[in-house]
Amino acid sequence: MLAGAAASALAAGGIYELVDQLSGAPPERTVAPPRPDEQHLLDGVSVIVDNDVEVVIPPLHHQLVTANVRADDLRAAQRELSDALDELDRRYEQTPAGLGVTLAWGLRYFEGRVPTAWRTHAPYDRRAGKPALLPAVRFPSDPDETLLEDNDVAILLRSDSRDHLAHAAGVLFGDLDVFDVTSIRRGFVGGGFGGRRSLPKQIAMAAGVPGADLIPTSAQLFLGFTSTQKDALGPRLIANHETLGLVDLGPKHYFRQGTSMHVSHLFEDLEAWYLNFDFRERVATAFRPGQPELREGTLTVPQPRKRADSPRGVEREFQKQGRIGHSSAIQASSRLQRDHVATDGTVYKRGTAIPQRADFNTLDNPFDWSSRRDVDQMQPGPRAGLHFVVFNPSSDDFHRNRRAMDGVLPDGTRLPLNARERNQGFNSVLRTTHRQNFLVPPRRHRSFPLAEL
Amino acid sequence: MRRLGVLVLGAFALAGCGGNDAVNAAAKVRCPAKAAAGWQKLANRVDAPVFCPSWLPDPLDGVIGSRWNNINEVGRDRSYLLSWVWQETGPGAAGGEKHVNLRGYPGRTRVPKCVNADSKKRELIPCFSDAAGTVRLGGRTATVYNVNQDADQWHVLYAWRYGGSLYTVSEHVAPPFGYRKVRQNLDRMLRNLVLVRPATP
Repeated sequence: MLAGAAASALAAGGIYELVDQLSGAPPERTVAPPRPDEQHLLDGVSVIVDNDVEVVIPPLHHQLVTANVRADDLRAAQRELSDALDELDRRYEQTPAGLGVTLAWGLRYFEGRVPTAWRTHAPYDRRAGKPALLPAVRFPSDPDETLLEDNDVAILLRSDSRDHLAHAAGVLFGDLDVFDVTSIRRGFVGGGFGGRRSLPKQIAMAAGVPGADLIPTSAQLFLGFTSTQKDALGPRLIANHETLGLVDLGPKHYFRQGTSMHVSHLFEDLEAWYLNFDFRERVATAFRPGQPELREGTLTVPQPRKRADSPRGVEREFQKQGRIGHSSAIQASSRLQRDHVATDGTVYKRGTAIPQRADFNTLDNPFDWSSRRDVDQMQPGPRAGLHFVVFNPSSDDFHRNRRAMDGVLPDGTRLPLNARERNQGFNSVLRTTHRQNFLVPPRRHRSFPLAEL
Repeated sequence: MRRLGVLVLGAFALAGCGGNDAVNAAAKVRCPAKAAAGWQKLANRVDAPVFCPSWLPDPLDGVIGSRWNNINEVGRDRSYLLSWVWQETGPGAAGGEKHVNLRGYPGRTRVPKCVNADSKKRELIPCFSDAAGTVRLGGRTATVYNVNQDADQWHVLYAWRYGGSLYTVSEHVAPPFGYRKVRQNLDRMLRNLVLVRPATP
């Protein structure tokens, strides 16, 4: 019965069918190179220039499905899932024009299903002095009711084609009998660069979301500003466990070319954002209080490596202005504070971004579908929000960034800001409902990792 | 034809001597009888024309001194703020707030400055900002401002100039009214404003 309900939900497009109707032809994409060993990378992603800034164009459609493992025979399940994933690989390139499939596994799976192998092979974050995969925590700006989740697995599907997502969901959750779906989360990211109308406003207006009329016409996301500046996203391999040397990969380097993934959902109060913060304050809040003057209405703001902020810079600006900006506060932790030479010889310059974000706007309330409607506090009707998905070398690395967003800097400095106060970056217009950390194994171990040992 | 000319001349003569129009000819509305005396008194007090609302969202009535009129202030610079508010606590449709402000700044047309209460430096910022185009209704062209300060915080505000003065009407975006409905309400309020001139002593 439940499986049938989940299958129906996966097949239904709902409000998100509008993405196809409103977006027109998908963006032009380049041909992909051979499939990478990393599951979390997407090839063939377009880059455009907007306001003299290079901007990455993410896939239009996103779907994240969480599940628990139903199968008792893990090795058989591993083979079945692996075959299904191979079938998808044969059919689609790992590109926005094709299909991005990323399987991320939670602590519940590793500790409950493969505990012995996990104890041997679990990656360890040397800097944090903790495992690289940690249980989710609430951050200073999170409300008490933020739900810390414990799913076995999360499967992130990304594509310019909703049909590709539907097909993949059918293969993984309909044809296979290895998962019990716990939630389905959907959304979109939609350009509009060069003055064209973007998806967020059109879809929010069609859904009648409060504040939809106030979203700028060509905004990439509900909150207006472009967030996928190339300089603000980690370069290709930087979020791998091994690249920055933060993570001890254990005796066999089983999880080499893997990464950590954090998933959260948050509601966005569009009316508060657009009616209480004028353009100047929205810039100060989203970027930095001392952001050089911008032409009113600018949506794509440069975030160059050379101007990346440091803990001292954030603290100084806070002393002067009494507030922090979202990007600059996070940069104190999310950007390299000095040059780094990776094990493969690649030089990552100071100011380079580490996280690779894959967040997407949503009208889920808070999810498109849940098997635990009461626990997840499912509500009828659409509501503006964001499914935040990000890849970092370790859970702790994400936690550091997220604490910096609240004014708790990586050197331990805690700026005196109240939870969700107006001067604490974006926080006053956000409300986080759910969080979970996952580990993304390399492609070769993506199906029921460690089950073969 | 000749008769019309006489009527028009008469109307100008009345306006020129500072009489009370109390009629919005474009919208064919009058300042409501129960509100007219209060608005006339205000015009006299600030010695400048004021705009009487002939329509406000129900149950707000635009009557100065009525049970819904929670602010009636005139500053030393003759600027005025009049506010009507209805509040009801309760879940869903049972609760909500309707709040409309009307302001005037006699003798000046520039957007006033407000103290930024959220800034450590308490700097001065425009009281009305994030202009979102103009609307022309009831013979007036108003600029729409989405971000406003002080009593107009979280309101959408229409501002227009008349006779060397700045005037505004704003409404709070709060249940039961979202942004779109507030804009419709403001359109209707703007269309139905009635000019009230100070009476000659």
